[in-house]
Amino acid sequence: MRILAIETSCDETAVAVVDDGRRIVSNIVASQLAHQDTGGIVPEVAAREHLRSLDAVAQTALREAGVGLREVDAVAATVGPGLVGCLLVGANYGRGLALAAGLPFVGVNHLEGHVYANWLYEGATAPKEPEIPAIVLIVSGAHSDLVLMEGHRKFRPLGRTIDDAAGEAFDKVARLLKLGFPGGPFIEKAAKLGDPAAFPLPRASGGDRYDFSFSGLKTATMRLVRSLEAKGEVPVNDVAASFQKAITEMLAEKTARATAEHGVDTVLLGGGVAANLALRDEISKRIGHALVVPPPRLCTDNGAMIGAAAFFVLRHHGTEIPTTVRSDLRLA
Amino acid sequence: MTLLALDTSTDWASVALYDGKSVLAEETWHAQRRHGDELFPTIERMLASARSSIADVDRVAVATGPGSFTGLRVAIAAAQGIARGAGAALVGVSTLDVLAYPHAPSKQRTCALLPAGRSEWYAALYQERNRRWLRRSPYIAATLPELCTQIGTHTLFVGEIGDEAEQTLRDLLGPKALFASPASRMRRAGYLAELGWRTLETEPQAKLAEIEPIYVKQPSIHPSFDQPFAPVPTGDVALGLPRRS
Ligand SMILES: [Zn+2]
Repeated sequence: MRILAIETSCDETAVAVVDDGRRIVSNIVASQLAHQDTGGIVPEVAAREHLRSLDAVAQTALREAGVGLREVDAVAATVGPGLVGCLLVGANYGRGLALAAGLPFVGVNHLEGHVYANWLYEGATAPKEPEIPAIVLIVSGAHSDLVLMEGHRKFRPLGRTIDDAAGEAFDKVARLLKLGFPGGPFIEKAAKLGDPAAFPLPRASGGDRYDFSFSGLKTATMRLVRSLEAKGEVPVNDVAASFQKAITEMLAEKTARATAEHGVDTVLLGGGVAANLALRDEISKRIGHALVVPPPRLCTDNGAMIGAAAFFVLRHHGTEIPTTVRSDLRLA
Repeated sequence: MTLLALDTSTDWASVALYDGKSVLAEETWHAQRRHGDELFPTIERMLASARSSIADVDRVAVATGPGSFTGLRVAIAAAQGIARGAGAALVGVSTLDVLAYPHAPSKQRTCALLPAGRSEWYAALYQERNRRWLRRSPYIAATLPELCTQIGTHTLFVGEIGDEAEQTLRDLLGPKALFASPASRMRRAGYLAELGWRTLETEPQAKLAEIEPIYVKQPSIHPSFDQPFAPVPTGDVALGLPRRS
């Protein structure tokens, strides 16, 4: 089964062609550059950009795959969670394509997309599928969710952020250190040159619950930077390294504890922050074995992950296949 | 040949099917904010009621506003997808042009109005000149008092004008303000279909991505917008009504 899949929930306009939920035939991601000046995503600007580029991105994805719409079996698009004005562009374009080409339309939960990114591969030979059950950590500028995946499309939420998303904390600290947007890659780069033990920063544990809270860490980092500024020059690399150490430890601690409590070996990562190598190292150190993680460009938002999830929606859907856009969709 | 017309510019949405001679089917409904959910079921129901199928559609016309940003993008994204999937030609028509069009035979100077939020209105003025029905202003976003400074003669108001706005216009303009009846001041996708059909007969087909909303206003992050006016129409853009001799 070949699926043309569309992702427009945030600031990437992305379309992919995916075979049987796993093999990437093409995967085009157009990152919107319009948000770099504002240091954050303006929803209306993002929606305008999606509409301007979506048709061209879809054409490129089909061309690179070397297939026409007639050789596609279904059209999928993200229907939530995300920015509603952005979701509506991808979902309505996709429904239009599907209607006109006589194909089924599959609405996909963006978070399921991040999970099923772990099933994707490129090239001729398929690697082994991830083993289920698994603990899934989805961390990006919009989400910080810890989920137990009991089976295909059977998710039990364990915890989520009670304030900022992890990626947001990266963005805010990067802005504080005048490093650029999005913050994750900039912090990671600076942290490589810094000392993670330079400054002690608090780790909110929240006891034995699995919910995350990053606002305390964010405030402490802000105070630290202000006091360093007052003294003179801010050692940007050391602050970045200390912050990254604190936030990755918070994420890794709960992830590792969840695997132990539920007797699960597999850890799946998704979302832009999952591209952070320090986070990957911290988790694999704590669970005692190497992680199998998607390459960074499949961790950030892309169309291929929506194509993978759509395949499993078609294979494992209990009732109706969703078509309606909902900004607050959850994993369940 | 069949043209599918889609309009989700405001709380009111409308779809129609047209073959160049007759409106084959049409549906107009109060969608509020549910365009995204209701557009496709409505299209499919209308196609069935006309005993037609999407395979017959080789032309698509879509209303491009000005109007609700999110609403406009629903129909435009859908129209791009349908046009791409069906290999159909796509044309965009201003929502205000659609509103004014059925009032051309009145020969009245006509002002099409749609709510733009925060006591502002999208507006454009239309008038017959040399037996051609023309838009005589840019697409404007303005308050009613600002708008009325542009109006010196008897003018027929059409569009989504509530009681309160009607009273304000009467207060500002006195007997110069004329109003179409409640039903005839609304817009229907059948008119959008006629206008779109004519454009496709006379003008080369635009690229799909070139069809985008007439935004008029900048995104609301800016405290004030630098560009309150969309570009003035180049020359006398005729709306394509046949000459009446
Ligand atoms: Zn994401």
